[in-house]
Amino acid sequence: MSAEVPALKPAHSYAYKLRTQRIGLWLFILSDAFMFGGLLVTRFYLLGNRRPDLDQFVGLIVTSVLLISSFFMNRAEVHISQGNQRGFITSTLITMLLGIGFLAGVIGVEWRMAHFGPADGPQGAVFYMMTGMHAFHVLTGVIFLAIILRNGLKGHYSAERHWAVEAAANYWHFVDVVWIFFYPALYLIGMAI
Amino acid sequence: MEPETSPSRPDELRRGVLVFVFLAILTAIEYFIGTHELPVILLWVIALIKAGLVIWYFMHLKRAFREEGEHE
Repeated sequence: MSAEVPALKPAHSYAYKLRTQRIGLWLFILSDAFMFGGLLVTRFYLLGNRRPDLDQFVGLIVTSVLLISSFFMNRAEVHISQGNQRGFITSTLITMLLGIGFLAGVIGVEWRMAHFGPADGPQGAVFYMMTGMHAFHVLTGVIFLAIILRNGLKGHYSAERHWAVEAAANYWHFVDVVWIFFYPALYLIGMAI
Repeated sequence: MEPETSPSRPDELRRGVLVFVFLAILTAIEYFIGTHELPVILLWVIALIKAGLVIWYFMHLKRAFREEGEHE
């Protein structure tokens, strides 16, 4: 009388863990997106149809740098899924350098060029909070990339098993998606104050 | 009906280049709109298209809904 029970995948199998890890990462990304969404709403609530007076050229350059970094991050993931270790290492390294370049552009250049500080009214609060929180995520992304680069150099990833690379890539692209909305909100929409 | 297959590796690299070129063009259009005081709604539409491209092609959203736990 024993009924046929469909075979379940063992909980410790790589395939099972990969599926659950993917769901976990997307839930984390969703929760982080709500935080950035809150900052975006705050920007329009406090500044309305005005925006901080920022250097348009610097804004376009840092945006381009982040966009190019996403391209190389995608290449890194495709390379490791092909088993191309050298391509993966090179693309990850370029992505890291571009991420550091983005940080230098925002914190080292834009923050220094801005003629207002974090405490100078709503525009200071909005600008430094949005760019600061985003830059913090870029920094953690760079650290994440440094970890997969180190592990990649040790040969820990293969075409069949590279969850950490997939996770780092998704996180990096998410940080890019956030900037896709922050860039027009800070640099392009409204009249400069 | 033909079974759905994932693109081969060279196709994936080429697709990455195409998506990047499209994103770069959209960013240039965005900059033009922003600096020429054109309707703001266009900036939101472009931002949504760019985000959609990144989420679908670079973040591979569809992988989260797969039954099989495999890398592509």
